[in-house]
Amino acid sequence: MAEPALHRKEDRRLLTGRGRYLADLVRPGTAHVALLRSPLAHARIRAIDVAAAAAHPGVLAVVTQADLEGHVQRLHHHLPMLPGLRQLHWPLLADGKVRFAGEPVVAVVATSRAVAEDAADLVRLDLEPLPPLTSIDEALADGAPLVYDDWTDNVLLRLEVAHGDAASAIDGGTHPVLRRRIVHHRVTGAPLEGHGALADHDPGTGRLTLHASSQSPHFLRTVVAEALGMPESRLRVVAPDIGGAFGNKGHYLREEILIAALARRLDRPVVWSQDRIEGMTAGIHSRQQVHDIEIAHRPDGRIVAMRAHLRADLGSAELYALGMAPAFATAGTLPSVYDIQDYAFVVEGVVTNKAPSGGYRGYGQPQAVLSMERIVDLLADQLGLDPMFVRRANLIPDGVRPYVTAGGSRLDVGPLSEQLDELLAAGGYDELRKRQAAERAAGRLVGIGVGQMVETTAANPHALAGQFGGYEMATVTVHPDGHVSAMVGTTSHGQGHETVYAKLVADTLTVSPDVVDVREGDTDAVAYGAGTWGSRSAVMGGGALLLAAERVRAKMIAFAADMLHQPAEAVTLSDGALRAGDVVLPLSMVANLATLHAFAAPSVEPGLSASAVFEPGNTQAFPDEQGKLNMAATHSSGAGLALVEVDAATGRVRVREATILHDCGRIIDRIIVEGQIQGGFAQGLGAVLLEAVEYGPDGAPLVRTLQDYPMPTTREVPVVRVLHQETPSELPGGFRGMGESAAILAPAMIANAVHDALRPLGVPIAQSDLRPPAVRDLLRAGGVGLDLDALAQGALAELPDGRT
Amino acid sequence: MTAPRAVQLTVNGRPVEVVLEPRELLVDTLRDRLGLTGAHVGCGHGSCGACAVLVDGVGARACLVLTVQLEGAQVTTVEGVLPAGSGPDGGDDLHPVQVALSRCHGLQCGFCTPGVVLTAAELLAEQPCPDERTVRERLAGQLCRCTGYAGMVEAVLAVAAETAGSDRERAGDG
Repeated sequence: MAEPALHRKEDRRLLTGRGRYLADLVRPGTAHVALLRSPLAHARIRAIDVAAAAAHPGVLAVVTQADLEGHVQRLHHHLPMLPGLRQLHWPLLADGKVRFAGEPVVAVVATSRAVAEDAADLVRLDLEPLPPLTSIDEALADGAPLVYDDWTDNVLLRLEVAHGDAASAIDGGTHPVLRRRIVHHRVTGAPLEGHGALADHDPGTGRLTLHASSQSPHFLRTVVAEALGMPESRLRVVAPDIGGAFGNKGHYLREEILIAALARRLDRPVVWSQDRIEGMTAGIHSRQQVHDIEIAHRPDGRIVAMRAHLRADLGSAELYALGMAPAFATAGTLPSVYDIQDYAFVVEGVVTNKAPSGGYRGYGQPQAVLSMERIVDLLADQLGLDPMFVRRANLIPDGVRPYVTAGGSRLDVGPLSEQLDELLAAGGYDELRKRQAAERAAGRLVGIGVGQMVETTAANPHALAGQFGGYEMATVTVHPDGHVSAMVGTTSHGQGHETVYAKLVADTLTVSPDVVDVREGDTDAVAYGAGTWGSRSAVMGGGALLLAAERVRAKMIAFAADMLHQPAEAVTLSDGALRAGDVVLPLSMVANLATLHAFAAPSVEPGLSASAVFEPGNTQAFPDEQGKLNMAATHSSGAGLALVEVDAATGRVRVREATILHDCGRIIDRIIVEGQIQGGFAQGLGAVLLEAVEYGPDGAPLVRTLQDYPMPTTREVPVVRVLHQETPSELPGGFRGMGESAAILAPAMIANAVHDALRPLGVPIAQSDLRPPAVRDLLRAGGVGLDLDALAQGALAELPDGRT
Repeated sequence: MTAPRAVQLTVNGRPVEVVLEPRELLVDTLRDRLGLTGAHVGCGHGSCGACAVLVDGVGARACLVLTVQLEGAQVTTVEGVLPAGSGPDGGDDLHPVQVALSRCHGLQCGFCTPGVVLTAAELLAEQPCPDERTVRERLAGQLCRCTGYAGMVEAVLAVAAETAGSDRERAGDG
């Protein structure tokens, strides 16, 4: 029978329950690990008594940091080049002190997870509580307790950078200055599949295979090899199917290294699957920052200079790659789509007694875009000008590209004001304003918000996140039967790489994507690779595959030319066959002869396999003498328009309509691109309207399950209207990254729309937390003389689609 | 711990006897004993729906059910959403919802997908032509962190529209 036409190559297995995620790889005989984690946010460890746990039936080992000393090196950030960064070295399991509730202290290895958890309950942990720090203010207060006894304060790094001369414009008294604090709250990516690791050590060969739900298996291999003191050549790291990652799985967890160490120690497979409580309390959080922004401007709304003081609430700093790195991205990209060349910032990473914060889709950029879009709107309000007018007055001018930002980013995007025009036309902005006026007159709190962004994609973050750069490797092989293997150093966690990469390689070799099998996420497949993060895979993985496929194509042509005694110029490849004049050689025949060595071409080495390294060569990882650097190989751009309604009685914000116009250069697969935008928008919506990771004053995590952390469901997320521009980049294929764009745009679009909805009340939005309680507080603040009951009835009377 | 007990149930049409501790959850029995790893543990407390299965034809969260509760029950997992060999030509076919989810890009990482397939299949078995509101209500218990639900909802509505179309065709023929 005919195969039903599925859109993606990966879909059949995922739809039928035959995906292979980490926990699906467990075989009988595998030992399971449960971690006893600190119940306190900050405490000194007086004693750990593991005797009862060790004696529990089914327990194979009970391990503390004392057992690991001498066998496993401590972790560190690998950033000696960052001036002022406190050089931390931290253990896999807490020793001396615990610094957040959830920090792993004891590992129990047993025949099953249930037995391991039973035994972990028997460990006696004697802790001396210390005062917890749960906020930036507490951590920076005079006389604050120190998270690290040998530090002088709780600041991991303070970095001060000035581009141009913002100070004289802001302090010189010649320009009006707008000053605003914008507060970003703590959220988490919360992929549906928790993190996990499964290690298997072969004592015969000394080889260790680590399966990990990791975005960057090669990077993880380097980290694990160093920590375990074993050669990288004997270590294989494989990322199987991954149930969502979103940056949270782009860090190298203590647990991953611990599992590898335990497998080597016990000489049997060992697995750990992060459960939801571990994920929420000891996984990766993100985004908590406070921005103090000052802009000097002209009376006509043109911004002259900006100065920003950014503080990031890092929680635990014991995270590699550096959990502060997204805050650098925030600081570096804060001017966003606006032409501000005099820009100075201070960024501080503040350590608190909470779980570590790190990467989450957008990697610091959602905060930058939300703050900047708020600032421009607030400036418009202050000047009594139309926000669109102030936006246009400050947009990076269309024309010369690349536009070099204050910080040195070389923006290669299309014209931003034209993008805005097209968005407003397509989104029916003028019509929406009319509808809004009518609805406002009827007492409803309806708002329209616009957001724009440029996204840093395909970055080289070597100097900021921790030793790893951003090139990519690929190998393409045409087998003797004409089937093709495409191997590359990225990983897929929903992005459909098997489908898009197969298409790229197939197009180059003029074969069907059906005969191209893609393999990624395996350190044995390609020599090195950077993985998937920072919207890099189409650009970098795709670029490397295009180069490798092109080399294979050239080899095939050389072979065919040799076989036919023709010059290479006379041979072409089309429709899966090599052609010279009337002679047609099927590609599989050439592959067969070339690989099985039936035919030796003197000028071409046997086999139809080629590897390629793609390094765009246009990034600059280290700052130049003016402090400028260019992280991204290319940028995408986007603009979005949201229509929201605020329920005055409950503070609930409903996104009624959203339109996003996006430019990611040449599109490989429109359906997949649109899926990334729909999904990114949903995450951005959740981050402002629904989600928050909160702690009690004692440092106890208040969010432990998904009952405490309402992620968006079918009830809250509208279908985004998605429109495209395709301005090709100058890189191979013309691609630009795009996976994070909508997650970057959505919070700003929505926050601007909520601000607009509340504009009649005169309550400005200067925060990312727009959950109902926060919005109710804002309504109260602006609610003098407001008849909440009447408003509520008005708002609830007629919802367009009947949903509530 | 309590002494192991024997439980007999039917999984995807196949009679199964398992001997297990009373505390064992259905999701662990399916995954660890029967090798049916399509049911995924996303949250462990019934919030996300990645472990959704059908028990006697009705949706259930396999992470909230003890296997010992299921003596004599019929359990359907994603691996058995179509009875084996029931596709055209007796092949390994896909349920219409599975095909539609792919075509409408209603899945990305796929971790939530088995639960979505079963929940949608259950809904369509009950109501072949649900409206969008009904679809959104029924899928509201299936968390997906990737798709934003657009393709997922579209997929279920596409199957419903196809059913409605073929019903009309049949009516026209009659």
